Amino acid sequence: MIQADLNVILPEILLSVFAMLALVGAVYTEKDKLAPMLVWATSGLFIALAIWIGASGQGGTHVAFNGLYVDDAFSRFSKVVILLSAAAILLMSQDYMTRRGLLRFEYPVLVTLSVVGMMMMVSAGDLMSLYMGLELQSLALYVVASLRRDSVKSTEAGLKYFVLGALSSGLLLYGASLTYGFAGTTLFSGIIQTVKAGELSVGLLFGLVFLISGLAFKVSAVPFHMWTPDVYEGAPTPVTAFFATAPKVAAMGLFARMLHDAFGGAVGEWGQVVALISVLSMFLGAFAAIGQRNIKRLMAYSSIAHMGFALMGLAAGTELGVQAMLIYMTIYVTMNVGTFAFILSMERDGQPVTDIASLNMYSKKEPGRALAMLVLLFSLAGVPPLVGFFGKLYVLRAAYDAGFAWLAVAGVVASVIGAFYYLRIVFYMYFGDETDEGLDSGGSPMLWGFLMASAFVMVAGVVNLFGIEGAAAAAAATLVN
Amino acid sequence: MSLFLVVALPFLGALLPGILNRAGRTVCAGTTFAVSLTALVGLLSNLPALLRGEVIEARVDWLPALGMNMNLMMDGLGAFFACLILGIGLLIIAYARSYLSRDDNMGEFFTYLLLFQGAMVGIVLSDNILVLLVFWELTSLSSFLLIGYWKHLPEGRQGARMALTVTGMGGLAMIGGMLILGQIAGSYDLSVILQNRDLIQADPLYVPALILILLGCFTKSAQFPFHFWLPHAMAAPTPVSAYLHSATMVKAGIFLMARMWPVLSGTPEWFYIVTCAGLITMVLGAVIGLFKHDLKALLAFSTVSHLGLITMLLGTGTAFGAMAAVFHILNHATFKCALFMSAGIIDHEAHTRDIRRLGGLRHLMPVTFVIATIAALSMAGIPFFNGFLSKEMWLEEVSHTTLFGPDWLVPALATFGALFSAAYSFRYIGHVFLGKERHDYPAHPHDPPAGMWLPPAILTVLVVVIGVMPFLAEPAVRFVTSAVLGGTAELPHEHIALWHGVTPALIMSGIAVTGGLIALTLFTPLLKLWDATPRPEAKVVFDAVIAVFVGLARIVTQRLHNGAFTQYAGILTLAIIAAGGHAWLTGESTASTREAMPINMIAAAGWLMLIVATAFLVIQHRNRLLALILMAIIGLIVSVGFAYFSAPDLAMTQISVEVVTIVLLLLALNFLPDITPSESNMGKKVRDGIVALAGGAAAMGFTYHLLMRDFVAPSISEYHLANSYKGGGGTNVVNVILVDFRGFDTFGEIIVLGIAALVIFALTEALLGGKVRARLLNRVPDKPLSGDRHPLMMVILTRVMMPLVLMVGIYIFLRGHNLPGGGFIAGLIVAIALVMQYMASGFNWANERQRYPYHGIIGTGVLVAGLTGIGSWLTGNEFLTSAYGYFRIPPMEEFELATAALFDLGVFLAVLGAVMLSLESYSRLARRAHTPDSEFPMDIDPSRDDPKTVGKGA
Repeated sequence: MIQADLNVILPEILLSVFAMLALVGAVYTEKDKLAPMLVWATSGLFIALAIWIGASGQGGTHVAFNGLYVDDAFSRFSKVVILLSAAAILLMSQDYMTRRGLLRFEYPVLVTLSVVGMMMMVSAGDLMSLYMGLELQSLALYVVASLRRDSVKSTEAGLKYFVLGALSSGLLLYGASLTYGFAGTTLFSGIIQTVKAGELSVGLLFGLVFLISGLAFKVSAVPFHMWTPDVYEGAPTPVTAFFATAPKVAAMGLFARMLHDAFGGAVGEWGQVVALISVLSMFLGAFAAIGQRNIKRLMAYSSIAHMGFALMGLAAGTELGVQAMLIYMTIYVTMNVGTFAFILSMERDGQPVTDIASLNMYSKKEPGRALAMLVLLFSLAGVPPLVGFFGKLYVLRAAYDAGFAWLAVAGVVASVIGAFYYLRIVFYMYFGDETDEGLDSGGSPMLWGFLMASAFVMVAGVVNLFGIEGAAAAAAATLVN
Repeated sequence: MSLFLVVALPFLGALLPGILNRAGRTVCAGTTFAVSLTALVGLLSNLPALLRGEVIEARVDWLPALGMNMNLMMDGLGAFFACLILGIGLLIIAYARSYLSRDDNMGEFFTYLLLFQGAMVGIVLSDNILVLLVFWELTSLSSFLLIGYWKHLPEGRQGARMALTVTGMGGLAMIGGMLILGQIAGSYDLSVILQNRDLIQADPLYVPALILILLGCFTKSAQFPFHFWLPHAMAAPTPVSAYLHSATMVKAGIFLMARMWPVLSGTPEWFYIVTCAGLITMVLGAVIGLFKHDLKALLAFSTVSHLGLITMLLGTGTAFGAMAAVFHILNHATFKCALFMSAGIIDHEAHTRDIRRLGGLRHLMPVTFVIATIAALSMAGIPFFNGFLSKEMWLEEVSHTTLFGPDWLVPALATFGALFSAAYSFRYIGHVFLGKERHDYPAHPHDPPAGMWLPPAILTVLVVVIGVMPFLAEPAVRFVTSAVLGGTAELPHEHIALWHGVTPALIMSGIAVTGGLIALTLFTPLLKLWDATPRPEAKVVFDAVIAVFVGLARIVTQRLHNGAFTQYAGILTLAIIAAGGHAWLTGESTASTREAMPINMIAAAGWLMLIVATAFLVIQHRNRLLALILMAIIGLIVSVGFAYFSAPDLAMTQISVEVVTIVLLLLALNFLPDITPSESNMGKKVRDGIVALAGGAAAMGFTYHLLMRDFVAPSISEYHLANSYKGGGGTNVVNVILVDFRGFDTFGEIIVLGIAALVIFALTEALLGGKVRARLLNRVPDKPLSGDRHPLMMVILTRVMMPLVLMVGIYIFLRGHNLPGGGFIAGLIVAIALVMQYMASGFNWANERQRYPYHGIIGTGVLVAGLTGIGSWLTGNEFLTSAYGYFRIPPMEEFELATAALFDLGVFLAVLGAVMLSLESYSRLARRAHTPDSEFPMDIDPSRDDPKTVGKGA
């Protein structure tokens, strides 16, 4: 019995053991000198696990620890995305952090721990494991956000994130205990029976909206997004890149799992709430980014808007909606990896630059990079035929099919507004003013590789989205029933 | 040739020029030409089947789940546009070969051009509207690259920016419209959608869909109010202007309107929006065009104007209008393209496009003069040129169109527009070619090589041929028109002919041409008048709108995300209240199942004290010591409350935790200023107060609601009550839960507690080893220390109390299983006893008498608890299964022994160790901060009469 359970969580166990060994090992040996090696080892392990989990694709659904933990197509899909994006960000961050003396051996260890948390989140079958995964992830992220200890901005960002995060965790816990109180169980499979049996009592509904609020904070959806711009700006750029990718997938996955596995019978109750959050996020994200001059802050608003789109798929409450959300998140993560590879390589005289104006006439100096970034920005804006468009199309269709025509139209309008600031960066790069304050050319080959690969995916994915459609559909099918 | 190949050829061919760039300019252009030609031939190979009445189709699944399939279809309309795109494309390629200079990267240029060409062909041959969308935005993208081809021209940047912003956003808006349309029709295939006119027009979402699609069309085809981007995009190389901005891309919007004509037109919404936009654009473009001095700007505005004309024809929704539109699309493409090319020739040869610096070129550039004159006369609507014919048809249609009441309004406006249209055409001839020859051209102009004049010449031949023999073009026009109508209307009976008799259209046309000539002769005063008239410059308006949006966005973000934590927390709180409010309003509320308890005096008094203390705390929170005392009071009342509500265990735990935390906080306060600085003004305080009160009220209301109702039955406490004695051997349920039912949790918790204490210890060590140490050592306390650090009375009292408190601790520990108490509380009580010693007699004195390090105590506690758990394995049970039995050792009474007590001992030790270790760590900081501790436990010791030590330590 226990063997079978442990078998199901073997990847998580491997990662946890690795994290602990790495921590202890590094403390007693060379400490920070080991960090580059650890980064490589960690990303290698992530990739290996992703391949392993991905390869066991037809494994069906396994439930471990009496339903606390679920390993199904949905969780596997999310885990592969989480692991691969985390590996990519780690590889990208190494050079940047080494040169700025930020690469401590705790960094890969903390990232590993938060990834374990994320894997738990997408596999949670119970409010307990939900909370445990969420907190494991968050606690590691709080620390990583303030990694640059000598910077006021970084520490302030970490502190703000922590306090607000603790507040939202408290809210989530409150929701969880209310749900438990009125459903009589913390198991998702038990809650859904209560939900399906009759109308939602006020208590259960309170539980639901508080759970949604808590998770909305994690995906930085409006009005729980306040931390995002400050943290994105304050944290070291590789950390920002990490924030923008894997944790978002995990939180979105957890969101979907909780809504469908535990509250699947009450789509009518939460569909409206999620739709509202979605539309607010899309508009605030699109509108607020217009005035930004700092590209990291801009990416913060951009990710708020993108979360709004992903939530649109969730609001639909259908299988197509979940599939759309998964596809959207996968595409979003790929785009962000490339974009942040570019942002990481933005330097002037060896110092990182985040001012958008520094991109003036960048295309003259680095035509290849500029073109790749152009592709990514167009894709982020959702301009056909790049892959970003397909993600948008999916969620729009899902929302429309589910009777949220107004949401789909609002989404289109928001994407029109949002296109403006992505295009503005393109103009800076191609038609900006001539300045002496340009960026350094060159840069690490690793970043170049990720930028180009990501841009290539945005173009080549047009053919069949690399087949993620089918996998996402299978994942959605296991979740929605 | 399959339609796939026709569409794919330009895309595949786009690779070639880039590769062949090194092979030379002619090879580059030649390859591009060959690719286009092959595509055109392939297209034409389908013509026989098309003429037989078949619709050519090619379908393959792409993303079927999305309804997005690579379905291509060619009917008359598609074939017509595809021929225009590929045919004119051939001429443009030939022209560009000569036009581009040696310095220009020809491979890059032709790659973009082919990409664009492929996208355009894709648009007109798509059957699937989602695929159409893809090609649609692909034209935006490739046109962006083409416009930006000459990056070195500063004025081009602004133009490219505006062009892409406007058309790109329009395209995105169209996605929404297409989605709605597809959903209504149940398919994204045009062939299906076009059959569902009634269904679509009856749908409530018809108007949003129409508006979104028209947004796409109007932005692409530069219709009012989006007309402003086109003239600014003219900084592009002339071949690009000729191809994109006159013949093809700007017609994509027109094409889509024609394509959707069967399903979208015919409703009042369509009529008013499209006709008005078209008419306004037509007049506006014509008027502005006349006063532009840049040749290409003049042509650009004339293009805007003519696109408006076509839009208006489509907007009227009549079959005749559609036919006129199709005919004018053809005519406009021929003469306007020729005009652009001639403008390019002039620019190329004379090195300027400014009309004021030109004039008298007719002798210097005779060939160009002929070409440009024919094309311009056609544009002016002079008989025997094709522009005349379609313009007549337009005026004919205009004379039947009524907008907003008065019959004369539309004809009058149209004539006015046509007048200016004629005027700028004449100006193009008159001010550039006629007049006196000048001597100050920037370069000496002469006719270009044949490669440059031949393409426009071919087009002018068409202009004349169609103009003189319209019956040649008529079958084609009728064929295309029938495809536009899509069976929803009969083909009109009217024929295209030079002479229809004296019709209203002819009269209007006459007025327009005559007026145009007059306007040209009066050009100088008119220009003065124009320059003197204040008018909104579209570009300025566009920039201003953008600036307003950017400003607004900045204000919003700066107000909303100003970095102030209180604001974030406030918004979060309000959002949570709103979420709760939503749940409250939509949930099913049940009647209360419990009775409220009567309020008695004690409860009321306690409640009052709690509120007063809390309120006072809020008001006085800046005085930290006072705040701490108030917190202690609140904690005490809370523990009394627990006792009052029959929870003695909780009460005991609460009170001991309270004591320990207050002591800890007192220690911490030692390092902090007494007063918290005031940071918020009155407004903020009021705002935060309101938010806090709202949050408190909401929480109170909801708690009240919950307390008055039962949770789901049966509650889990029933199980614990029932099994506590039976299964755990104890009557104190709380303790049994801690050490038995939830033993595993407790085990985890004591480990966490131990780790926390160790972390505090480690942090203190690290701090004292670092920079902080010096600061602590040099720190001057901000208040004088009390002279009596170790008061006699307190020392004596604590020593007397020590054994008593220890005894109480043991008592509490032992009785824990059955009565309130237990290891946790006992640990805290013993810790308090020890802390008292430290406080009263000084750290050194107490530490000397402390034999066992606190780390060890924590470790022992965890070990004991763990081993107890493992012990149950020996009996074949699971980890931490408790066992108990009753024993009797004479002469004592029978008593109970449970393994749980051993586990509780572990808890006791861990708690004791953790509390003491953290206190010790804190006090180490404090100790170093002051003067060295006195070596005596009492400052004034009666048994010691060493006068020197008296009063020391102050």
